[in-house]
Amino acid sequence: MSGISSVINELTSSPYFGAGISAAAFWVGVKLNRKLRTPLCNPLVIAVVLVAGVLLIFHIPYDSYDVGGTVIDMFLAPATACLAVAVYAKKQILKEYWLPVLAGCAAGSAASMGSVYLMCRLFGLNENLTASLLPKSVTTPIAVSIAGTSGGTPSITVAAVIFTGILGSIFAPLLIRVFRVSDPVAAGLAIGASSHAVGTSKAVEIGEVEGAMSGLAIGICGLITVLLSGILC
Amino acid sequence: MKIIRQVGIIFAVCWISEVVERFLPFSFPASVIGMLLLFFCLVTGILKVEHVQEKADFLLENMAFFFVPAGVSIINYFDILKNNVLQILAVCVISTVVTFAVTAYVVKAVVRLTAGRMTAGRNAAEERRRKS
Repeated sequence: MSGISSVINELTSSPYFGAGISAAAFWVGVKLNRKLRTPLCNPLVIAVVLVAGVLLIFHIPYDSYDVGGTVIDMFLAPATACLAVAVYAKKQILKEYWLPVLAGCAAGSAASMGSVYLMCRLFGLNENLTASLLPKSVTTPIAVSIAGTSGGTPSITVAAVIFTGILGSIFAPLLIRVFRVSDPVAAGLAIGASSHAVGTSKAVEIGEVEGAMSGLAIGICGLITVLLSGILC
Repeated sequence: MKIIRQVGIIFAVCWISEVVERFLPFSFPASVIGMLLLFFCLVTGILKVEHVQEKADFLLENMAFFFVPAGVSIINYFDILKNNVLQILAVCVISTVVTFAVTAYVVKAVVRLTAGRMTAGRNAAEERRRKS
């Protein structure tokens, strides 16, 4: 038995294993998502479940998988930096609506962090979990960097961020009706501030202004949340 | 060659932001410094969007993929999650609703205020025109 596990160990600790299985699982996730067309089938969620399942079933050590995982992690910072290109592409509407955009994103980021902090205290969650959940409304790369620098566990942050995004994309139309948000600028910013890129995919379906505003909120709320957590932590 | 140049530019931005992070007196994530640096370069015209377009599109469109390893590492934290899963879900649901509502109402209020000022300004200008 130990012979088999050492062979598995040796074969899976090549970077090609971790990177390859991640790419294959994500590809399956994208295919399923296109076929079923529901935000519940998020490609990232499907990929994570598939990879985690393979690791657990075949007793592949996480550290072996992570040899390839680290290669993929290398692209996180470049992807975050490129959010600048997405904001820059919307510089025209940013110029026109800079005040509502800044005010809305600042208020939304503060409301998100404030409500998370209060509830974590209320539920008696420890420091580590609180730090992991605090940045959960902003886009994954920024949330992960904040959690990393403030004593949180990045993988818990990733889970909370995705769950929040899925919630936002499912309930955005309902929330717009409940809170009577008739202004498309307000609706778009609210979706982007509360549920980042996953919510934005829904905002794009609702309308062009909503989509653009939601996309803008991703980068700006991310930045404001970094500043707020820097001041608070 | 074009893609190689774009990869070079974006990796250079990331490396410079890591250097900046190292020398900042407070903690600030390097990836966000990279975002600010790239935005600054685009606004000032040091870089043009064409210099990074395809590589940026590739990274932005496939953003979720780069989080697969981070997501998978959750299998190391099952114990912490198991005991608190309901609380964590509640935190996510409630704060999403609160964030949505606060953002929407603040934007609505600001739009109404600035629109009010703009129409007031327009009315004043019209009045002046009528008087003259």
